[in-house]
Amino acid sequence: MRPHGPWRLGWRRLRRDRWSFIALIVFVIIVVASFCGGAIVTHLVHHNGTDLYPYASNGNLRAVGPWTHVPDVTHEFTDSYGNMVAAPKSTKTTLFIFGADGPLGRDELIRLLDGGRASLEIGIFAAIVALSIGVFLGSIGGYFGGLVDAVVARITETVMAFPLMLFLVFASVHLSSAVRSIGWGWEIPSGAIGEAILIGIATSFYPTRLVRAQIITLKHSDFIEAAEMVGASHWRILRKHLMPHLVPSLLVWGAIAVATNILLEVGLSFIGVGVQVSVPTWGSLLSTTWGTFYQPQVFNSQAFTPWQTIFPTIAILLTVVALNQISEGVRRALDPTGRS
Amino acid sequence: MTRLLSFLVRRIAAGIFTLLALLTITFVMFWAIPSEPAVFVFPNAQHLSNQQIAQAHHYLGIDKPKTYQYFHDVGRALRFDFGSEWEWGGFGTRINALGKMAPGLPIAPGIYQDLRETLSLILGGAFFVLLFAVPLGTFAGSRVGALSDRTISLVALIGVCMHPMVLGLILRSLFGHHLHWTPEVGYCPLFTPHYHLPAGGGTGPAITGSIAAGPSLLPKPCGGLVDWASHLALPWLTFALLFLALYIRMIRASVADTLHEDYVRTARSKGASEFRVLRRHVLPNASLRILTMIGMEISTAIGVSIYIETAFGLHGLASDAVQALAGNSTLDLPYVLAVVMMLTLFVVIGNIVVDLLYAVVDPRAGRGPIHHGTKSAAGGVI
Repeated sequence: MRPHGPWRLGWRRLRRDRWSFIALIVFVIIVVASFCGGAIVTHLVHHNGTDLYPYASNGNLRAVGPWTHVPDVTHEFTDSYGNMVAAPKSTKTTLFIFGADGPLGRDELIRLLDGGRASLEIGIFAAIVALSIGVFLGSIGGYFGGLVDAVVARITETVMAFPLMLFLVFASVHLSSAVRSIGWGWEIPSGAIGEAILIGIATSFYPTRLVRAQIITLKHSDFIEAAEMVGASHWRILRKHLMPHLVPSLLVWGAIAVATNILLEVGLSFIGVGVQVSVPTWGSLLSTTWGTFYQPQVFNSQAFTPWQTIFPTIAILLTVVALNQISEGVRRALDPTGRS
Repeated sequence: MTRLLSFLVRRIAAGIFTLLALLTITFVMFWAIPSEPAVFVFPNAQHLSNQQIAQAHHYLGIDKPKTYQYFHDVGRALRFDFGSEWEWGGFGTRINALGKMAPGLPIAPGIYQDLRETLSLILGGAFFVLLFAVPLGTFAGSRVGALSDRTISLVALIGVCMHPMVLGLILRSLFGHHLHWTPEVGYCPLFTPHYHLPAGGGTGPAITGSIAAGPSLLPKPCGGLVDWASHLALPWLTFALLFLALYIRMIRASVADTLHEDYVRTARSKGASEFRVLRRHVLPNASLRILTMIGMEISTAIGVSIYIETAFGLHGLASDAVQALAGNSTLDLPYVLAVVMMLTLFVVIGNIVVDLLYAVVDPRAGRGPIHHGTKSAAGGVI
């Protein structure tokens, strides 16, 4: 019988862990829906997330609710005084499955799916940036010690004493002009990459500390000594002997980081320094409803549209809970003795 | 006792280092990004001549060498003398016929006023987090897997996934705006009554519900314990709901682990009641983890209070910081230094207090920096 490697065993344990496996499936569905869902729904209902439908909001600028048929015209019918009148009966209608997103009358469902793509891109890319920086600085600091380590440790400690959000706000306003315009069509909306890089840099202190602490405890183990004895270079020891030990804890951190990055993006949108308001993300969908830092909006019975809060919140909730559960499951699967 | 004292001295030294380092970073960052502070002296000028810029730099005291400015500014901040803002709230030309510049508002009074609001919010909120989390977490931890345990964990998770801004505005709309159970916005001091006038030059969000039209239109002065608590009840609730999930989960895990220990079995076999077992043998163990977590979450709490302050029209230090860092294209250096100083001081002092408590609670601790575990998922809520 062939022996099974640790990854295979871990995957088996993860599959047997009912809740974590469900969470994994939910997360995969969310990712697939975010990246393909917008296009599919557009194909089904024959309009996309940027089309403006004047008839999707009423005279009080209150958006229409879920599952409404709206006249399929992007211009207003007006009477001789220029006032907007109801569309003629013969006008074809189009279906707004989750209702409209506000006075502008865009499709909430398509914006939610497209927003999920931007939010997930920001969350995942920021986690990758943070992990790259963290692994690099943390392993150098932890392995070589001395001055490098002291500098890395002090910087980490200092920066962590200051609220992360304020760093992000400062960086988004004053430093991001260079990265702001990077984007690639509608797949990667401009501003998303810049925001991801900033969030990644700002959160890289946690993986740095994690990696550093683990390398420090591992570097005096017998197997490192043995590797040194047979003449392995520092680079080889780091890459072949230390890195594999870090992977489980970094996976665990990475899953949680994607979730927190999504919430950070929501926060930046609320302060008004996130991606442009016209770009849908879960954060900008929520901040269109509730206002921003400078202008919070309170309940207004005329324009009360609960679905605009409920749908993005459920999307965020599902993603964050699923990622938390996946992280928990990965931890249990790769480290069944419960050491880390 | 000496051990505790030397521990305290070491922690204070580390705190002062952190404070100095952050002030230095702020100073360097300010001069590293391109900006022209002369616009503060000539607020109405379309175009500034070189002479005007030189004149403005002289007035603001930034014509001196950078090293002199560094020691001057940082030294002043460390003595809690923040000077006055560069920003000038007045109209017309700022420099009078005698060549004197009208000074900006003094920073210190406004900052202390705002610190009070943030402190009330965070300390009160933390109290409610513990008030709810300890019983619920213990209850869930002693019944792992039961329906009640799952319900508690699920409900708590919903709280953490709502953004504080959304949660706060929903609570405000429901209880403040609709049901009128509590005042909707604003802050009332605990001790001296005041009018709802924005303090510190009115740099806060213009939603404080304040009426600045004239003395006759001013609302009744408010202050005292009842007014203070009723104004802060909803912010506290928001704060507590956000952090509840993490603390419940952590206490639950700790309690569930400890219940299998030998000394718990011993206590039970000696006939101790279930309540006594939990209170005397299980919870003290969890309290160490709670302390560690509080220590790590202080800066997160400041991040969260940005949104809670915004949602409830409070005018605290956290929203000041956002305005100072994001509001203008040119940063107001004295004000930014003051805000950074106060926020860092808050985090540093909070950490020292937590570490001291830790050393008191756990006789083994106090031999080094106490930082085990990683920062929790709440880091993102901010």
